[in-house]
Amino acid sequence: MSRKMILRVPKFQEPKRMEKSEAQRLWLLLKDAIVEVQHMNASTLSFEELYRSSYSLVIAKRGDILYTGLEEVNNHHTKNLLDKIAQAVDERFLIELNSQWQQYKLQQIMIHDILMYLDRMYVKEPQLKVFDLGMFKWKQNVLIHSQINDRLVRMLLGLIHMERNGEVIDGALMKSLIQMYVDVSLKEKETYKQEFEERFLLATSHFYKSESNLFITNNSCGAYLKKVEIRLIEEEARIKQYLDESTGPKLIKACEDELIANHMQTMIEMETGCRTMIQNDRFNELKLMYRLFQRVENGLVHLKNEFAGYVRNEGHKIVNQPENLKDPNALITSLIEIRNRFEKTLSQSFANNRDFINSVNTAFESFLNENDKLSESLALFIDKKLRGGFKDSNDQEIDVIMNKVILLFRFLSDKDVFKKFYEHYLAKRLLSGRSFSEDLERTMISKFKQECGNQFTSKMEGMFTDMRLSKDALDGFKNYLQTSVEMGKLPKIDMSVRVLTQGFWPTFPPHSCTLPPLLSQYCDLFTKYYCHAHTGRRIIWQTNIGTAEVTFRLPKKTHVLALSTYQMLIMLLFNDAEKLSLKQMAAGTSISFMDIQRSVKPLYSGKYKVLKRTPAVEKSKELSENDIFELNLNLKCKLHRIKFAATSQTDSEPERQHTRQRVDEDRKIEIDAAIVRIMKSRKALIHNDLIVECTKQLSSRFVPQTSMIKKRIENLIEREYLERFPDDRRRYRYLA
Amino acid sequence: MNKKFTNSAKVITHLGSLLNTTENYSDFRIILSNDNKPTATFNCHKAILACRSDYFAALFRSKMKEYQESSVEFTEISSPIMQKILSYIYTGSIEINVENAIEILVSAKKLFLDDELCDFLI
Repeated sequence: MSRKMILRVPKFQEPKRMEKSEAQRLWLLLKDAIVEVQHMNASTLSFEELYRSSYSLVIAKRGDILYTGLEEVNNHHTKNLLDKIAQAVDERFLIELNSQWQQYKLQQIMIHDILMYLDRMYVKEPQLKVFDLGMFKWKQNVLIHSQINDRLVRMLLGLIHMERNGEVIDGALMKSLIQMYVDVSLKEKETYKQEFEERFLLATSHFYKSESNLFITNNSCGAYLKKVEIRLIEEEARIKQYLDESTGPKLIKACEDELIANHMQTMIEMETGCRTMIQNDRFNELKLMYRLFQRVENGLVHLKNEFAGYVRNEGHKIVNQPENLKDPNALITSLIEIRNRFEKTLSQSFANNRDFINSVNTAFESFLNENDKLSESLALFIDKKLRGGFKDSNDQEIDVIMNKVILLFRFLSDKDVFKKFYEHYLAKRLLSGRSFSEDLERTMISKFKQECGNQFTSKMEGMFTDMRLSKDALDGFKNYLQTSVEMGKLPKIDMSVRVLTQGFWPTFPPHSCTLPPLLSQYCDLFTKYYCHAHTGRRIIWQTNIGTAEVTFRLPKKTHVLALSTYQMLIMLLFNDAEKLSLKQMAAGTSISFMDIQRSVKPLYSGKYKVLKRTPAVEKSKELSENDIFELNLNLKCKLHRIKFAATSQTDSEPERQHTRQRVDEDRKIEIDAAIVRIMKSRKALIHNDLIVECTKQLSSRFVPQTSMIKKRIENLIEREYLERFPDDRRRYRYLA
Repeated sequence: MNKKFTNSAKVITHLGSLLNTTENYSDFRIILSNDNKPTATFNCHKAILACRSDYFAALFRSKMKEYQESSVEFTEISSPIMQKILSYIYTGSIEINVENAIEILVSAKKLFLDDELCDFLI
């Protein structure tokens, strides 16, 4: 820290009083010099002399003479300049004004330099600083004078209009003249805003209003969008080139309003507009539209709604197309296709905007759940793929398809229905040995597991375990047979058994049938063996899903027929009879008439007919109990082994009904559990709250119907889990 | 990491020595006079004067007679005071005593040297 020196000096010397005449002399000297400066003759003047004069006047407290004098000189000078400039013809006007202005600005700097001591030591608010005083006089006497201002603004706007129409104008001149409005503004660019900017923005709006109306009526939407983008770039450049930067946001807003906001609806609806672009995957045009709409308020909302609406509409068409309703494979394939297509639109045109993705997903959710067939169709689609449809795809392609399946699955509201169907078809694949690859099966399941957790896939995994354990059990059984005493008495047949844990597997509709004695004996042996090895277990035979191979001896040839268990039973009947009616078949096998019908059909109406109907009737005719069949001994077939479908490929309606019923049964249990869980933690609850809570808890698996929840509540009240409050019937209490 | 090395003291010495040597690349002269007779001349440098004093900055900017002739004539400043003022302009330090304080203050104000110097003097 510096120490302050203490000075003992004689009393500060008062400057000598300056005589009025001396002051006047100094001012006249300065005035002459200023006039010289205003005539650009400054180079012979002595700066020090002028500076010293102004300094002396200020020191002598005569600054007022100087300041008022300066005001007058400036006043006079600017008035002279006005006349000079106003006389200029239009072609010269801007150039003349600009050159006078540039000179004037330089003069004012020089005057400020000479009068620097005055400026710093004398001028006090609200007086204007020396330079500002010059600016103010120019503004007052030149710029906003009626002979100049309107003419100038009109010409400037005229030039901008010309430039917008493609002509080349003098940018530097524009910049200098427009900057003049800023320079003469004393605070917050008020002169610039009032005199120029306001009118410029108005002219801009006007220009683009008429241009855009005309252009959009005569051109395609795509061309219009490009035009808009170019216009916006031009205006950005205009700001940099000659406008004050504070005008930038206002100018761009005005352009956006006229060019985009006012035409959004048209751009969406016009023939070449947004709709057509989406329909025809015009990604680049959509991208441009997205970019431009993004600039205006609510612009993206319009675009998003239009897109989501289109998605919903397309999806709706697909899920209701009659061909698709019949063919689950085509349905899912088309769904995956449009999903891919819209994902492409989202990424290429809409920058993967979150809102857009969400609204597309909402659209998918709504149309995918429009009809209740989708769960089954999806399960069937995967079934087909896993039965061999993946044969020609590489790992990466398979993964992509699986992920798409999961994606569609995610949108399903009734995931439990899907699960039932999936388990059903998985069971069929495993039992018929039709699964193409265990690895792929497991990959698919692991994806569901990732999506929905362990609970969702535990049964499916159980099925795989059963398949493995069955193989062990069967090997064990074969060893057992060789050592068994009874074995010696029986003819050998090759029997294969799968042990399915109840609960893991779908419960197949109960069917009964009478097995031929030999088979029965084998079954008993297996039961004996298995229950010995695993005490406490019970075996129920499911004959209806088995398969069998039967030797078919014709006079000239022998075939092996691959049949379902039921078909085998029917065929075996012909060992003892020549002709059989359906009624007789049913009686001989104890199979329900409906199953007889379904089993016989492929045997007489397929490509290879091992049975024939006597007398021959039209194929399409429904079978009746009394129709009679006999073996077709004239069968012509080059194949040794002939395979017959057990039933038609897709499930029959009763089977489907059965699956649905099981879903409903399961739902009852789930709803019960949810209600009890909720009531247990809340103790007492109003009816509506319970419904809401319950729906929420279950929503990840399915959307329960309110009527169903009501029924379950009633049921739980009957079973004394809950009771109603006596004074308020709408409230329930949990009974521990 | 960058390390900073400073040697301002040396710079000040060097700048100060510009005033004392004859061959010093000077481009401007300050002439003191009394009754129209020159009493002393100082060879100086426009760049340094302009950046240290607003008076000189304005003088050079206005491109008047002094700029054309590359010299300015002061009539009210004595040679020892001018010497001190210049040394302050070039090196940033000045020796003041009771006798010269007022004269230095007056000149400092006229030439718009740093506010700090004027504050110190008052």
